[in-house]
Amino acid sequence: MTRFDRRSVLKMGGGMLAASALFPKAAFAQSASINYWHTFTSQSEQAGLDSVMALFKAAHPDINVTPENIPNPEFMAKITAAVVSGSRPNVTMVSSERFRDLLAMGALIDMTDRIANWERRADFDDSRFASISLDGKVYGVPGFAFVDWMYYRKDWFEEAGIAPPKTYAEMRDAAIKLTDASKGRYGFGLRGGPGGQNYIINVMEAFGSPVLHADGSIGLDRDKAIEAIDFFAGLLVKDGAVPPSAANDGFRQVIEGFQTGQTAMIWHHTGSYQDIVSKLEPGVQFGTLAMPAGPATRVARLAYAYNTITKEDGADAAWEWIKFWGEPDAAVAFLEKTGYFPASTVAAQDQRITGNPMYAAAADTLAFGIPQPSFPGAAGWAESSVLPNFQRVLIGEATAEQAVDEMIAGLAEATA
Amino acid sequence: MSRAMYTAANPPPRTAWDRINPIRLIGELSETRYWMYLLLLPSALLITAVVLYPTAYGMQMSFREMRLNRPDLGTDWVLFKHYARMLADPIFWTALRNTAVWVTSSIALEFLIGLVAALALNRNLPGTKLLAVLILLPYFLPNVVAGHMWALMLDPRMGVINDLLVRTGLLTGYKAWFADPSTAMAAAIIVESWHSFPFFTLLIMAGLKGIPTDLYKAADIDGAGPFAQLRLITLPMLKTIIAAAVILRVIGLVNSPDLLLILTSGGPGRSTQVLSLYAFQIAYKDFNFGYAGALSVVMFVLLMLFAWAYVRLSKVNQD
Repeated sequence: MTRFDRRSVLKMGGGMLAASALFPKAAFAQSASINYWHTFTSQSEQAGLDSVMALFKAAHPDINVTPENIPNPEFMAKITAAVVSGSRPNVTMVSSERFRDLLAMGALIDMTDRIANWERRADFDDSRFASISLDGKVYGVPGFAFVDWMYYRKDWFEEAGIAPPKTYAEMRDAAIKLTDASKGRYGFGLRGGPGGQNYIINVMEAFGSPVLHADGSIGLDRDKAIEAIDFFAGLLVKDGAVPPSAANDGFRQVIEGFQTGQTAMIWHHTGSYQDIVSKLEPGVQFGTLAMPAGPATRVARLAYAYNTITKEDGADAAWEWIKFWGEPDAAVAFLEKTGYFPASTVAAQDQRITGNPMYAAAADTLAFGIPQPSFPGAAGWAESSVLPNFQRVLIGEATAEQAVDEMIAGLAEATA
Repeated sequence: MSRAMYTAANPPPRTAWDRINPIRLIGELSETRYWMYLLLLPSALLITAVVLYPTAYGMQMSFREMRLNRPDLGTDWVLFKHYARMLADPIFWTALRNTAVWVTSSIALEFLIGLVAALALNRNLPGTKLLAVLILLPYFLPNVVAGHMWALMLDPRMGVINDLLVRTGLLTGYKAWFADPSTAMAAAIIVESWHSFPFFTLLIMAGLKGIPTDLYKAADIDGAGPFAQLRLITLPMLKTIIAAAVILRVIGLVNSPDLLLILTSGGPGRSTQVLSLYAFQIAYKDFNFGYAGALSVVMFVLLMLFAWAYVRLSKVNQD
């Protein structure tokens, strides 16, 4: 039997220590953990994230990603608290309208060099980075796109002999014709509750009243904005062509309204496609259309959810996770579960997308879609001024003139 | 060998160890009048760290320019700029009025339902223990869960409450409760009252157990009916508990915007905008922490004034 004395144990220990110093990678498994703050809430979004994570795990078994869902209404409060208290996540999903606010508070880390040297940089058009760049610095990579489009009840339109609308005027006519309040059926599902502010801004711009001029000065044209609000709120207060609950209808209500046969048309983006498909048959019961054109211009937002590095620690692992979203397989897997369009041009040309006629409207929108207005305070102004003042028109508490005056005053305050 | 007799007046001489023995030193300290302060020190430090410092910081913030998304504006002292803005801000006055409605209506309803429930449960009839658990259930639900649950139940498309009201003929069609300014606040108050009345039930039940039954027997002999007994015995005997419960609920209602945030987000328009929600939105949507700080200070002062006035008016400190 071998006996170990103190000297032999010390020798063995010293030898092991030397070996571990010579072969550090063999001695200690290299792994990194990062956390990822996102705003995915629906089942389809969660399934999409799971798919991307599974692919990432197979490609990078040494990096553990811990996703953390931060619901949209709480997102800014949580990220602000995390930044102020120094408990930031490694990677954060940032929508374009939040970029300027987060940059101003110092939440985002410059990724310009990493992105410039990225092997898949050429897969992304320069315009994809416009809403996450300032003063020549780039702060994120688009994970996927929000392509605005319209869902319509194809079967109802065919039954009524109405052509799918291409302009606001045609949409309004169709909405009025398809409304039968006695049956609880309405032509259009207007989102006048949470999240509806962006559509109100879009309508104003489509009537020729953009939020800001190119030089940053206030661009809201009072008369045109009044005309826009009058038209949009008029769908409820004059035409009665939207559900009476419009002033409180957010994402869930608008989607459910369409899914359950209450409304004939809704505006949203491609991210709700799988939710609609789960209840209605594509191409038979419903179809997709590019956003209709307003009297002055056609406004369809082409926004991106950017993945950003928000913490220096673990930045290399964070970068691996961020750039993985640009891989065509990951982008298409995410699209198949959710409907969110790939931001990568190469991924968008995948046969699984181009071969599906339901995505044609989104593909068309890529040609004329425009980014959301972005300036510090944009999201706050839209939510705290645009939406409540529009609601006041919907509930008959204010005229379009009063609402627009309040919006202009709010914008002046936000940008002062 | 003779042994010295030691007494309190004649203690044994201290050894070197005695002079540094921490247990002995603590023991000696506990005999002094400083012991009380020492015992209070940890909680005082904790309160300073998590209550006083943040409160003082919030107050000083209200006198500064502090917009997180506008670092170009700096963080200079602006004295009463935010308070002056508040006076001229119509949304502040709307929110103040709505807060008064929200708090008084909710408290009144919660107290009434809570009192009735507590009186019923105090009778110790068969099944009251099970009923007590069921009645307390809403209070265990987080605000967020309760809010989403009621938003679905009151949904104008598939809400079960609309369905019941239509089936029973009380409504001719489904109603969008939260989209109509004339019903949005009332609906929110009902949800809040449903959620929090068990708080009153719980405290009042505890108070009822402490009322001597002899008082009711004597009142019976004197011919006092149930309402007279409630007015002359029960409510006066519960005065302290009711006062404490009301103050706690008022503080909770004034400070918590979460239920309204889920149900209405302050809308439609500004019809359910309350001070706490407004301060939250100013801070986390507009990132104007200076103005949000000023709103919070006003809420704090109003709450202090209310608590002081309520205690004085309810004469809770008098026998």
